[in-house]
Amino acid sequence: MKCLLIASESAEVLFYWTDPEFELNIQEQYGASQEEGEKPPAFEDSINTLFAPIIISCSTMVDRLGDSYTSFSTENNHTYVLHQFEECLYIAVNGDREEGEEDLKRKIYVMKKMIEVLFGMVTLSSTLIRKELRPQDTEQRTNLWKYLQNLLETYSRLQEQDQSFLVEAVERLIHPTLCEQCIEFLERRLVQQINSSVERAGEEVLHAFILVHTKLLAFYSSRNASTLTSSDLLALIVMVQNMYPSNIDLEDTAPEVGALRVKEVEYHTLSECFGSLITVSCVCMAEDSLQTLEAPPPDPSNPSRVFLEVTLKEGCYPMMPHSMYCLPLWPGITLVLLTKIPNSNLAMSVYVFLEAFAKLEKRLSEGLEGSAARGQTSIQDLRNKLDKFIRALGTSDIQVGEDTIIIFSILSPSSCPSSIPFLSPPSLREKLMDWKDFLLVKSKRNITMVSYPEFPGLIHFIYVDRTAGQMIAPSLNITDRATSELGKGPLAHFIKGKVWGLVNTSRIYLQKGYSTVTLRDGDYFFCYFLWFENETGYKLEVKDLPILPNDSAPIGMLAWDYYRKLLRYYSKSHQGEVVKCYELLTVHLGVIPTEYILQHCSQLARKLWEPSRIPLL
Amino acid sequence: MAAMAEIIVPDSRRCINFFLYDGSKVKGEGDPTRAGICYFYPEETPLDKQELLCGQLAGVSRCVSELSSSPVRLLRLRRSKFAIRMKDNFLWALSCSVEIPDVSICDFLDQLINLFSFYNGPIRQSYQIYSQEDLAVRWTQYLSHLQGGATELHHIFSVLSTIDSTHIDPLLLLKAALILQACQRCPLVLAGCVLYCGRVVSTQMPPDLTVKVMVHEMETYKQRPNGLSSSSSSGSTPLSSPVTSTTVFLTTTELQYLRSAPVDRESRSKSTQSTPKESNRPRKSRLLSRTLSDTPTTDPLDPDPTHYVPLSFHYPSTPQSTIPDESLFSPSPSFHTPGPLSPSPIKVAPETSGHNLSNGKLYHEVEEGVTGSSYDHSYNSIDGGRDESGLAEGGRSMQNKDLRHINGQNGGSIVLSGERAGALWFSGQESPEPGSQRMGNVKVFKEKEGQGSKGLLQADTCDVPPYSPSPGENSTEAPLLPMSLYQHRVRGLVLALLVEPDFHSNTVATEEVYHSSLASLNGLEAHLRTTALGAPGPHGPYTFAHFDCIQNTLTTNLSGRPGGAQECSFVRATSLLHSHFSHTEALQEAIVRSAGAAVYGTRSVAQETYFLQKGGAVRNSGIPNHQDSAFSLPSKARHRLMKHGVNLL
Repeated sequence: MKCLLIASESAEVLFYWTDPEFELNIQEQYGASQEEGEKPPAFEDSINTLFAPIIISCSTMVDRLGDSYTSFSTENNHTYVLHQFEECLYIAVNGDREEGEEDLKRKIYVMKKMIEVLFGMVTLSSTLIRKELRPQDTEQRTNLWKYLQNLLETYSRLQEQDQSFLVEAVERLIHPTLCEQCIEFLERRLVQQINSSVERAGEEVLHAFILVHTKLLAFYSSRNASTLTSSDLLALIVMVQNMYPSNIDLEDTAPEVGALRVKEVEYHTLSECFGSLITVSCVCMAEDSLQTLEAPPPDPSNPSRVFLEVTLKEGCYPMMPHSMYCLPLWPGITLVLLTKIPNSNLAMSVYVFLEAFAKLEKRLSEGLEGSAARGQTSIQDLRNKLDKFIRALGTSDIQVGEDTIIIFSILSPSSCPSSIPFLSPPSLREKLMDWKDFLLVKSKRNITMVSYPEFPGLIHFIYVDRTAGQMIAPSLNITDRATSELGKGPLAHFIKGKVWGLVNTSRIYLQKGYSTVTLRDGDYFFCYFLWFENETGYKLEVKDLPILPNDSAPIGMLAWDYYRKLLRYYSKSHQGEVVKCYELLTVHLGVIPTEYILQHCSQLARKLWEPSRIPLL
Repeated sequence: MAAMAEIIVPDSRRCINFFLYDGSKVKGEGDPTRAGICYFYPEETPLDKQELLCGQLAGVSRCVSELSSSPVRLLRLRRSKFAIRMKDNFLWALSCSVEIPDVSICDFLDQLINLFSFYNGPIRQSYQIYSQEDLAVRWTQYLSHLQGGATELHHIFSVLSTIDSTHIDPLLLLKAALILQACQRCPLVLAGCVLYCGRVVSTQMPPDLTVKVMVHEMETYKQRPNGLSSSSSSGSTPLSSPVTSTTVFLTTTELQYLRSAPVDRESRSKSTQSTPKESNRPRKSRLLSRTLSDTPTTDPLDPDPTHYVPLSFHYPSTPQSTIPDESLFSPSPSFHTPGPLSPSPIKVAPETSGHNLSNGKLYHEVEEGVTGSSYDHSYNSIDGGRDESGLAEGGRSMQNKDLRHINGQNGGSIVLSGERAGALWFSGQESPEPGSQRMGNVKVFKEKEGQGSKGLLQADTCDVPPYSPSPGENSTEAPLLPMSLYQHRVRGLVLALLVEPDFHSNTVATEEVYHSSLASLNGLEAHLRTTALGAPGPHGPYTFAHFDCIQNTLTTNLSGRPGGAQECSFVRATSLLHSHFSHTEALQEAIVRSAGAAVYGTRSVAQETYFLQKGGAVRNSGIPNHQDSAFSLPSKARHRLMKHGVNLL
């Protein structure tokens, strides 16, 4: 029984997602209070009515006590987590014990992150985001909510099944040669070619990458592009997975030779068709990116507008508009291009103004009377700059008022995206043709415990390079078709449960400043280590980690990059040195003596350090 | 009296706010929230803030409990959290800082609620009998008592304060245990404990019951004149007497536990008449002296020693006139003396609930078996005593067969007669005529929704859960049974006994208990007084805390005073680990390390131990390294804690 609800302060539902059990529960409750023969109200209205007292009480508590609810739990172990972002209240509910409080908090933060990626700077204004999340038009609203509901379900599925979404770090396919070739291809044949093409209409490819299911095969960024943050990359993978879900059960039935061949042929012709289709449609395409939100099987040629962080010399600009082109090469293998849109400079200017206004507002609200004079000149200054900016815009056909809010709407997702011609995917497809099956299998069994015979008693591990936002872990396949060393069925499920639990536990301790944790739990022994190194691999001394309050954002990289802040915090005492942060989690059999387990951990850390040195970009 | 000073100082407040809210008083739109506030702590809180908190939390709790079809347990805010109990229309809420583990704050609230019912009976009823102001004084008293724990660690574990057994001659502990056992020879005595300066010396009761008993002791110890105290000195002794008695209310599970305690009731009542019926009852022969090894089990195949059968379910109470004085206190051939806090880990298994008086099945068995026999004072004779006491006054004759009837209608009027009935029940003044068969009389109060305003007199037929101080036991529909708390004070030393309600009317029994224990108590007090209490434990280069989950006791070398950075990190780690242990059943050991400190925690079914090795932080990088000193903590703990009587092997 699960639910996620976003409501405005006036208890208006801005978005909801429920699983069938929760929906049934609501309907039953509502049905009970209904008169005989009356038509049951719309589900949206029922959920609104039932949650309204909680929502209203939340704002009362904030207004009158200056404190707000963070969670409720009931005797039958239902958990409610609440979080207010500006004027939007998020409520996540779980009634089947599958998710704890931390999981729900994470879900809320991830939902907020996805909304930021989809709507950009609009999220900075409560009025605007309310309008965006709850379009007046019922059909439009239904479509948008459907899309967001799917996105949330996709995330939940990944978080439950995929280790890289468990620890929130990108997993790479370990195949150096192929990786290198692909990077070269992305660079020479794709990015350079498109960026030098005249048809691109002001767009510029910044990043290109190939995903095999959720795993990264190759990644290339153009020279003048800012780095793509782990948080954004993970969010984009969720979006790609939402568009082209890797259906595990379907994949598992694939390796039947006859069927495979048929499929291959099908896909080959299909993709050829796509190739020509794309070229054609590119020319005459000009439409609303919201259309991608509406149609569940999206047209790959339609780019989605995504808002990603950009760090340039001048500063850091969160939520800058990009276009994302997603092209399925084969089911499970996707090429993704991220382009800079022509009016991206406009977005930067708007952000600069917004930031300036925000600072100004803060100063004014703090009532710094002494700095009033300084504030005034600043206001005047800002005003002049803004006037100039608006005059410059006046040349374009965008209607501009003095109100910056209108500028927001330029950058909202409904503004027209331009498009770039896709010429190369067929050739990429040719290139990868021979590797396709290998890649699909490899993505299921990227690395296996068999490759680590020198660690008897070691059942599983996860190694994360937090600086790069990448992880390595043996595959944990729990479906019937794919077997790992753990076999299939109950044991694999059990171990998976333990691993998921261990990650959650380690986060609880990390939040309170503990960087080493060992646990003897039943027949197993778990270890968790976090440490810092400099670039040459020299181990840096451990420092007191910040102790975070219980209601702080969830530890991870997708929604709120804890590790980036941790690295920044740690680097303060290591000026002029590149600091790297690593994590290692292990699961051993409990019968192995502790000193051997610890020896294993230290050898494993050394061994894993090596392959992670292969440069990606 | 250093120890005393230490316990009276209420240090770090565990509770920020506490309130009891009666939703039934605020039904209509126009009803002010304040009408529903029964008690609010701190009492000086402005009324509008009280109303705000009560109104909001009650509203949200109701809404959430409707959505989830279950009462709310915990409401968390950014800066504080509220443990919640909801029952009928009542809502209890207790807030504390967010740092205190959930499990601890919930336990605390349950303790508080149970404490209230222990002294005042069912909540709805007590608010009908007493004024809100009077009960407010009591809530305040219970809150301050429960908050008076010595250190933050005590708060985390909700432990009993005990005397430091490592600094006391073990013979004194033995002596205390012997006093209790001697008292138990009187069949009217259920169980007891010996307290010294607010600390437990020896107890025969389960920890949560001992805590409750201690409140009264603490209050009288502080000599706070308390007009509304329901305690009354027993008739024969003057007011200044060291002996007091108070009516208290036990849950059926508590009572069942006490009655099934491993005391050989047979031996102490051997001279009383035994009917053929009883002697025919198939029974295992038992030694007079009982040890854990001869613990009877209901099922010989059941290896679980925690399954006890009540030794005699026909409580061998006899008309007092027939109790031979010699038999009451004749020493038994030998004693089994368990540890300082004696009762062994006992849980009454569900199977034994068949012996519960409130079990319908048993009820009928007894009814059939004893009709017309000399056992009409047995549990089923609810009517018997009634006739002689209060109900007779009311001119109502309650027949056994008419219980349902009573339950339905007349029962209501009994309690609704308000003060009179209350006085009757709580004063212990019901002096029965000689030979009146009130022993084992049971008044069962049960609150039911809708009937909450009517205390019910009935033998309830609900299933009684196995004894475990389960959360909110009283908040469920557990019926409460009035018993009496007898206390005998010798300066700082108190002998507290839970006795059957008619113990006080039984002159022979009271005098025997009083006189037989007087000398021993005086002697024990003299010895304890000369022993330095509360002396700080040995401060080694380490800090540890050892929590006994069965007896709810804590052994630690951490002083109550605010300590250094390492002590703070020890407490923080302990709190986290305790929380983790409490919800992860299979977790046995953990080591957690921050830059400054490494803490080792280990637990078994019966105990939790936490250990920190002091000393300068060893330079380390946090990378896995088997030579890291943090990983030698388990062996160090095993080694170091031996001398504190903690065995981690």
